[in-house]
Amino acid sequence: MTDKTPCQLRERDDIVLRVAHLSVNFAVGKQTVQAVTDVSFDVARGETLGLVGESGCGKSTIGRAIMQLPPPSAGAVIFRDQDMTVLSGEALRQTRTGLQMIFQDPVSSLNPRRRVRDIIAEGLTIWGRDNSAARVEEVMSAVGLDAASAGDRRPHQFSGGQCQRICIARSLALDPDVLICDEPVSALDVSVQAQILNLLEDMKARYHLTMVFIAHNLAVVKNISDRVAVMYLGKLCEIGNTEAIYSKPVHPYTRALLASIPDADPLAREQALLDEEPLLQGELPSPADPPSGCRFRTRCPYAQERCAREEPFMQAAGDDHFVACHFPLL
Amino acid sequence: MTDANQHEPLLLRVTGLTVRLNSSHGLVHAVEDVSFSLARGQTLGIVGESGSGKSVMARSLMGLLPRRSIAFGSGSILFHTDNAQEQDLAQMPDKLMRHLRGPAMAMVFQDPMTALNPVLRLSVQLTEPLRQHLGLDRQQARSRAIELLAAVGIPDAAGRIDQYPHQLSGGMRQRVVIAIALACNPALLIADEPTTALDVTVQKQILDLLARLQREHNMAMILITHDLGVVASRADYIAVMYAGRIVEYAPARTLFTSMQHPYTEALFKSIPRINDPSHTRLQAIPGRPPQLINAAVGCAFAPRCQYVQPRCRQQTPPVVEVPDAREHRHACFYPISPGLNREEGDD
Repeated sequence: MTDKTPCQLRERDDIVLRVAHLSVNFAVGKQTVQAVTDVSFDVARGETLGLVGESGCGKSTIGRAIMQLPPPSAGAVIFRDQDMTVLSGEALRQTRTGLQMIFQDPVSSLNPRRRVRDIIAEGLTIWGRDNSAARVEEVMSAVGLDAASAGDRRPHQFSGGQCQRICIARSLALDPDVLICDEPVSALDVSVQAQILNLLEDMKARYHLTMVFIAHNLAVVKNISDRVAVMYLGKLCEIGNTEAIYSKPVHPYTRALLASIPDADPLAREQALLDEEPLLQGELPSPADPPSGCRFRTRCPYAQERCAREEPFMQAAGDDHFVACHFPLL
Repeated sequence: MTDANQHEPLLLRVTGLTVRLNSSHGLVHAVEDVSFSLARGQTLGIVGESGSGKSVMARSLMGLLPRRSIAFGSGSILFHTDNAQEQDLAQMPDKLMRHLRGPAMAMVFQDPMTALNPVLRLSVQLTEPLRQHLGLDRQQARSRAIELLAAVGIPDAAGRIDQYPHQLSGGMRQRVVIAIALACNPALLIADEPTTALDVTVQKQILDLLARLQREHNMAMILITHDLGVVASRADYIAVMYAGRIVEYAPARTLFTSMQHPYTEALFKSIPRINDPSHTRLQAIPGRPPQLINAAVGCAFAPRCQYVQPRCRQQTPPVVEVPDAREHRHACFYPISPGLNREEGDD
């Protein structure tokens, strides 16, 4: 691990969450899988950071490592000027109330035997805060649930979209600073997905939230994020403001990802038939045995000898735009 | 309702297909009065949200719905076999249907892990249709299977063929499923959400692969998806399904340039666009897709439609042709017409 501060970390007073040199290893049998390796980023107050990548790239692991579920193998998670990785017991529990999380499958993240009202009040009760019916109803109506009719029902009586609203209400009840959303809309129908995305934007404004939004759908991430971080095989490839990443991607992987999105325009068909050559060759390598040097080199159309030898570090590629590539497509 | 599929001969004509299923909650109106036709070599995209009946429709075309779950079925599925004979699959006994599945029509499912048998080597699963339908012997079938694996882009096909499904990645498994489906060179391939379980980069590879194989074999394809983006650039015709009905049907380009049904429009507008700036407010569709339990009165989309009128709640809109537009049909009393300023609905 290097002591040098990665260049993508910003020196600002309003940084709410800072993740530095984060690594998460899992033991699988006798092997060690590096799910996340030396990832650094920060999120400023009121900002939404989108975390994108293919399945298995470690984006969900980062979300959980921020919450110390489980704590990372190395690195620091600095929240409210405190490194959460050195906290334990009561101190960790206290700090964690400021970070809340919502998950991909809203139905299975709710206790089927409890009433919605009790699910939402649970956190307030545990922390001895105002768990009155009025407070619960306030949060419920904020997320668009009718407290009078919905409060006494149980999760199975709601659709997936409604259950996600319940999860959002539960996470907001404790008035967190940071909301970590792990694929919150990928299990939902497209017509409902828009409702939840709009709701998250509204809640962000109303409760002054800072968000980490993890998703694999690039259009969804663009819609909700101020900044985007692209991950590949446990490492950060590119990070920067959303406009820069989407209009001028400089990492070959980001470019390939963006080129893979099907275009909702039938006129693009001729084009699609022309560039049928796949941009990405081969298979995702195993994270148990990642390639030397740049992890993307085995599938990169521009890979050169240096990419196998030397690991690329983050470098500036523009205003608030950073890339980890020896030969960025500038 | 005939479609002028000018150049290619007609392969499939579905008329008034209705499927109602038994469930513990009551009768499920899964497919209601669905009609369309498809010519050889063409692609029909079927778009709909979960529960819109698109998968049940696909399975009924293949004759894969368990008999006892079907409470009521009607309509005809006319399929033109190679010798230009016309057969109604809806009336066909299971025994004969078996001979068609594979050589005439084949299906690719959403989840490649569950579509493959986890305890059988790929060689067994690939050679089965070849031996059953084409009568190849063991050796012939094996070498043909290796060719098939290579054709769907699996490197080291000869080495891979003795592996088990769990030894492959999701994208590779879907390639194997496609190889099995194409083993007997079907005239029609039904792909039911073939890329939904896959990453976006793999999705593009698989869709490109399907397009290439389709061109090579002049195979017709029904591509079922919930993603308008997937079919927009890959289908010749698009059918939008809602609550078991086709609410709009048009050539792909026509659909996107002059959509008529409010649901098509709402679906299109609710999807986040990669080209829109961040924080663009999405036009969400209020409410949620209807349950298909028991028959609904009126247009199924009425409760969520921003243009709803009293009549929509009382009568079911019939499928009508758009005047002066070839092969463009919709089921709406008050279609969206360009240039016409529509008033917001009564509630």
